[in-house]
Amino acid sequence: MMALPYLMIIPLFGAFSMPMVSLAGRKAREAWAVLISGATLAVGSWVFYRVYEKGTVLYTLGAKSPLGQANFPIRIVWEVDLFGALMVLMVAFVSFMAVLYSLGYMRHDTGLDKYYTLILILELGMLGIAITGDLFNFYVFLEIMSIASYALVAFRNDTQEGIEAGIKYMLVGSMASSLILLGIALLYGQYGTLTMGYLALKLSQNATVVGKVALALLTSGLLFKSGASPVHMWLADAHPAAPSSISAMLSGLVIKIGGIYALARIAFSVYGISISVKTVGWLIILFACITLIVGNAMAVIQTDMKRLLAYSSVGQIGYILLGIGIGLAAYGSRTGEIALAGAIYHTFNHALMKGLLFLIAGAVIHQLGTRDLNDLSGLAKTMPKTTFAFLIGAAAIVGMPPLNGFASKWLIYESSALFNPVLGAIAIIGTAFCTAAYVRVLYTFFGRPSEKVMEAKDPEKSMLWPMVILTIAIIVMGLFPWGISDKVMIPAARALENQLAYVATLMGGG
Amino acid sequence: MIQFQFITAFLLIALGIYAFLAKNNLLKLILALNIIDSGIHLLLISLGYRVELNEIPTAPIYTGYETLKSPMVGPLPQALVLTSIVIGVCVLALAIALTINAYRHYGTLDVRALRRLRG
Repeated sequence: MMALPYLMIIPLFGAFSMPMVSLAGRKAREAWAVLISGATLAVGSWVFYRVYEKGTVLYTLGAKSPLGQANFPIRIVWEVDLFGALMVLMVAFVSFMAVLYSLGYMRHDTGLDKYYTLILILELGMLGIAITGDLFNFYVFLEIMSIASYALVAFRNDTQEGIEAGIKYMLVGSMASSLILLGIALLYGQYGTLTMGYLALKLSQNATVVGKVALALLTSGLLFKSGASPVHMWLADAHPAAPSSISAMLSGLVIKIGGIYALARIAFSVYGISISVKTVGWLIILFACITLIVGNAMAVIQTDMKRLLAYSSVGQIGYILLGIGIGLAAYGSRTGEIALAGAIYHTFNHALMKGLLFLIAGAVIHQLGTRDLNDLSGLAKTMPKTTFAFLIGAAAIVGMPPLNGFASKWLIYESSALFNPVLGAIAIIGTAFCTAAYVRVLYTFFGRPSEKVMEAKDPEKSMLWPMVILTIAIIVMGLFPWGISDKVMIPAARALENQLAYVATLMGGG
Repeated sequence: MIQFQFITAFLLIALGIYAFLAKNNLLKLILALNIIDSGIHLLLISLGYRVELNEIPTAPIYTGYETLKSPMVGPLPQALVLTSIVIGVCVLALAIALTINAYRHYGTLDVRALRRLRG
């Protein structure tokens, strides 16, 4: 499929031509950024459509077939199944919204050519992780994504908040990357290949101790990157410190692609049946339960709006991990399939919801210069559109029925209750905390107006439109919950679960 | 035969992890990350090194390999390590830039002082 390389070429070209284009002025720079991310979204949508219609796509760099003369893969391959294609669509869409939003939000900052370069590189890294089928290639894209996000968290380097958060994020992130690289090195040493599909074949023939140690290293590194408890501390510092458009990308995309997606890909497509799925599944479930309780409970007591949203992200990551864990522990059964579909669905939904909520937080900061909830009382009077969007986003993240969060959370509740009622109870408790946190914010917004909020007004068009589009997306997705679930999410879960098809596509038998 | 390069590699990684956990100076933490990376690079390079028939392997050059008597080392790990070193340099540069900025804001390199974000 020839469109796949353009998913890399367009953002890469756009990113590195950005400093030259911005010599022509602010207008040219903004137009270029929108054009590049829009084109990426178009290619991403085409890739998704193509994979949805015709099944898994394999692209080999440098040759027609990945196989050499000895009949095993010797080239770097990109392999996109429905799960990967869904992630591509999600990344391209939310990144496009973030770039649009940046036009208004970042107008008063300096160094914007570097900002747009970094944001496009961040998008590139995430797209690369979603499409790659090679472990070392995955590591390279992971580092591209991570380095861009370290730099973006510390983008406002005149504030000590940005610097401190950036350093914490960078130290933890580099440590996690080292663990992942060590895992990859061990796998290469044991099996002599880096192609995920072929590695899966080798592992199913002979799963050695070294292979299992590598799994432990990869899993711990990826749990670090996804911000699972008890190592979520960096997330609560890093996500609020970044500019809001970047927070939306970090919370909505980076922790999903660099953590959840990669974890699911390695656990299901690479290891799959060659490990004891019960043990690994329960381990992930354990972390998921801690994460979803800690994250949601910590969100309740925050007074900083963006910090509350960041902790809420930790909590939602807990739900997604719970889905992945149950999918692994109940591998091959109907319950596992539902759990996995719920996890994938929630990943997509949470990207939209948390993207929207962070953009709203950014609009509030832009107007009032503060994100302390104690100062934001009565915002509904002066910023009605923003408050309405927040109401929709909060209702969706809590899981109110007519919105998109309901269906995905329902799938996770249903499967966890079927799998083990205790897990279902824990998930419900997490939601209770989550509801409390968001009701608190809404209560503040609809409260008696304080003097400070009287001059505020709804943000300008370039900031309002992304919020409107995301709100519409949330409402529209909420109108067809079961249709989307049956048509897209369940097939995506099946594609992820079907290790045999993944290997067969690579080896040319599929 | 025990392969000493593997032991050295894992010693380096362990040393780096120890320094990362025990030290408080920002520059030392960055060095610790680099030591871990070096350990992993040594491990990767050692994986490609193979002694066959007691012959020391040569560099992987494809032109004129028919006349070559000894085995060649694996070229793939070297490519991987090269890539990984470039990534490491990137992270290092960013880390040092951030450290300089942190020194400006906090007046110290002690990580224990970087605790103003709370909640």
